[in-house]
Amino acid sequence: MPTPAAEDLLRALAPQVLAALVRRYGHFDLAEDAVQEALLAGATQWPHDGVPDHPRAWLITVAARRLTDLLRAEQARRHREQTAAALMPAGDWITPGDDARRLDDADDTLILLFLCCHPALSPASQIALTLRAVGGLSTGEIARAFLVPEATMTRRITRAKQAIADSGAPFAPPTASERGPRLAAVRHVLYLIFTEGYAATAGLGLLRPDLCAEAIRLTRLLHRLLPNETETAGLLALMLLTDARRPARTGPHGELIPMAEQDRSRWDPAAISEGVALITATLRRRQPGPFQLQAAIAAVHDEAASAETTDWPQILALYELLREASDNPVIALNHAVATAMVDGPRAGLQLLDQLADDTRVATGYRFHAVRAQLLEMACEPAAARVAYLKAARHTASLPHQRYLHARADRLTPTPVDRRTDCN
Amino acid sequence: MILLCGSQPDYDAMAGKPGSGQPAWTSADFAALGTFMEAFNRELAESGELVETRGLTAPAYARRIRLQDGAPVITDGPYAESEEVLAGYWIVDCASLDRATQIAARLTEAPGPDARERAVVDVRPVAESRDELEP
Repeated sequence: MPTPAAEDLLRALAPQVLAALVRRYGHFDLAEDAVQEALLAGATQWPHDGVPDHPRAWLITVAARRLTDLLRAEQARRHREQTAAALMPAGDWITPGDDARRLDDADDTLILLFLCCHPALSPASQIALTLRAVGGLSTGEIARAFLVPEATMTRRITRAKQAIADSGAPFAPPTASERGPRLAAVRHVLYLIFTEGYAATAGLGLLRPDLCAEAIRLTRLLHRLLPNETETAGLLALMLLTDARRPARTGPHGELIPMAEQDRSRWDPAAISEGVALITATLRRRQPGPFQLQAAIAAVHDEAASAETTDWPQILALYELLREASDNPVIALNHAVATAMVDGPRAGLQLLDQLADDTRVATGYRFHAVRAQLLEMACEPAAARVAYLKAARHTASLPHQRYLHARADRLTPTPVDRRTDCN
Repeated sequence: MILLCGSQPDYDAMAGKPGSGQPAWTSADFAALGTFMEAFNRELAESGELVETRGLTAPAYARRIRLQDGAPVITDGPYAESEEVLAGYWIVDCASLDRATQIAARLTEAPGPDARERAVVDVRPVAESRDELEP
């Protein structure tokens, strides 16, 4: 096993090495395989032999040699001998020292991100390819993170690379007119990686790599490359402020704990202060967007000393802005909760009734869970219990079922009602 | 292939469903099973014998498709309440059927209320070639 420091270095160098190879030889798909093998070689050799003086150059040399082999095999297979002569033998590759390192590594990484999030790919493929080509994760690690067999993930990545080859996309930045939407696509992919990681809770012995940490690392990278993009800053702040609560989100046995009942002393103060500083500075630039608004909401939650002292009117105002900017069912549900906290549970339940016709919202377990929570607030324990049980039936996740069943169980009628706050 | 079986009441108990007939699992029970399975899977992965393992969601989410009067008919939740059905599986690549049996037997040690007495584990050799399937 590589040491954590060696692994961090390998993963940080992965996109630079891939970009160097693609610039030199083209063949994004084979170059990507070659880089994976070079990373593996580094991970096995460096702990014994020590990290080379010029690790990036070392990786480029190994990957280029491997790419040459792959290209030869590919061309032999295709019987295209006439082009084989054009290939440079691996020995002729002159390894650049780190002092000769090009200044455009940053641009290269950015181009790779744009390429991996190319609109010709499905979201699942964009995510997989980004994690492998830019994140430097192995196919096995990505497969475990998304709970699919490794063979499935291998096919997904192969198809993704084929789609990029078929699209004829050059290894170059998008044009000025394409840039905005393509950058939004990159942010969306990073956000999906984060939410997948955040949803992953202690299940039955699943060995899942930490996708939240990876999403934060890649978003930090994107923010460093393009510091003036306010939505990228908003996304990074949102991730930091959400991830800060993770230590308190589960109990000693992995059970889920809702935010109102979390031990706030277990929230990560460093992540909160970094996120708050980032979103405060970003909002001052007055180019608001959905990620900045969500980060602002997360900041209000994180800065409250308790659930009771949370500034709900401010959160409600932010959700109202957010609903204008984004037609997202989760945001609509959270808006109903914020309304209930400010104007009372009946007002929140009325909003939920309006959402009941939206199949994207009403078929998910969250809708019933929120309804149950608001019914409980409205002192209707019997109806709340039914809604909690209904929510549990709408999710196949055992940890979520356990949480919802426990909530329902608390509301089971007893001969002498011990609850006094609903009189 | 190692097949672990369970019924809807087993799932309900594991999901902490109130009034499910069996004692609902506590958080500690659930966490202990998770720890056991994680160690079990890690050992198999490290010995190189694990090809693939998956857990299945509760039988209530199953669908059955059958041809009826020439048209496919879909039934949601087709199993009887107490029917033992596949709950999870492991495909292992190991030296012999005896070794696979040895691995499978360890699953009976999985912790949980009543789990030891109730656990049913089957081992089914996967056909390796056409010769094993065709005359």
